[in-house]
Amino acid sequence: MRRFYIITLLLILLGLASGQTGPSYITPELQRLIQAGGQNYSNTLLRQASDQALCSIHRNRLPADVLGPFIEAQRQTIKYPADGKLMGDWKKGEAIFNTLARGNCFSCHVGSPLNIGGNVGPSLEKYGQRGTSEAVQKYTYEVIYNTWAYFPCTVMYRFGHNGLLKPEEIADVVAYLLDPASDFNTKPALKR
Amino acid sequence: MGRFWRLVGAVALALFSLMVLAQEEDDPVKEAEKQKKQLLEQSGGILPSDLYVEQGEQLFKAKRGPKQVSLEACDFGRGPGKLEGVVGRLPRYFFDTRRVEDLDSRIRTCMIRLQGFRPEEIRRADVVAIAFYLASLSNGQPVTVRPLMPQEKKLYELGERLFYLRAGPRDMGCATCHVTYVGRRAGVLPYSDILKDKRAASHWPAFRYSNDQAWTMADRIRACYSNLSMPAPDFYSDPIIALTLFMNVQANGARMDLPGFIR
Repeated sequence: MRRFYIITLLLILLGLASGQTGPSYITPELQRLIQAGGQNYSNTLLRQASDQALCSIHRNRLPADVLGPFIEAQRQTIKYPADGKLMGDWKKGEAIFNTLARGNCFSCHVGSPLNIGGNVGPSLEKYGQRGTSEAVQKYTYEVIYNTWAYFPCTVMYRFGHNGLLKPEEIADVVAYLLDPASDFNTKPALKR
Repeated sequence: MGRFWRLVGAVALALFSLMVLAQEEDDPVKEAEKQKKQLLEQSGGILPSDLYVEQGEQLFKAKRGPKQVSLEACDFGRGPGKLEGVVGRLPRYFFDTRRVEDLDSRIRTCMIRLQGFRPEEIRRADVVAIAFYLASLSNGQPVTVRPLMPQEKKLYELGERLFYLRAGPRDMGCATCHVTYVGRRAGVLPYSDILKDKRAASHWPAFRYSNDQAWTMADRIRACYSNLSMPAPDFYSDPIIALTLFMNVQANGARMDLPGFIR
């Protein structure tokens, strides 16, 4: 019992130290349930971030009063490549877009000439028709870096925010989508 | 000349039938029915799941473990040895273990308590086969899972909470796909509608013809986590039982199709 108090105290101190005073979704009872699932399972689930908690609390539909500050906080997290270029190498982007363990973009989006696309996300067929203006580049980059800044609580991974892709790699995917020379824009998309 | 045209005809017929076979139905239920029919024709009336059922029955009735007894006295909620329809009534609270248990964990409990196995000695494949045998005795019966005991009510609430929880590097959560994107596809299969389609939970345990595997609901839940590179909850653990309880309650009233036959 004493050990339990010490651990709880440590956790509270840790929480204060990391400035986590945000909303919490995981009640003590839910925490015990999750811990019963094993060490690795609980390590991942109990590390729930406050924005993930907000999406859980509101079941992925944020109310109006939460929405504004939420989007603003997500926007603040977006970082850009060191050289400032938002369009990188489309060939490298092609590999990321079409690899299950990396971008896995094709699973949800139509548009790739290499893989049959899914329909969880909107079709990106001939995405490059939008041109390569700075605004289009920036929007595309930011949606991939942190999609919750535009579509709060959506299913798409927050690639940059969660460290799944580096800023330069995101720029490569942007190039795959926007570069007029990219296979994504010159070859027909595979569909079901 | 006549022989040549017969040959051409045969090749054309073969190609045509190949094309027909290769055409996949858009509705996964229809596609599974088609695959089942084909498999039955090829095997002369035997499905792979029949073999699991058979194997499970042998394991269930054999005198095994340190105590050399069968599992025939196991109580799955309708009394010792009463096996008909039990799959559609689980998870539920058991007084002997003071725990809400699902099909998998109850089989394990009886292997420990009746047969004297140590937990680490229990083979997952044996539990799955026994689950298939019990499933065959619940086919056509209705799902009747109503949380009445306080322990059941509590676990149901926690299961619902866990269903909506988002966490991990890919912001994973069950509801994100199985509520928001129901019917949409990421990959081959459309996301099932856990809240509204009673078939989603009423065909487990099931045989998967696409990869030749026998799965219980626990395997299904664990694969959902793993597919999004999340660590899966341990077999027989409370998070699995809580999610199963939540999902089975949504399937209340459905006629069980067991063992299931799915992609």
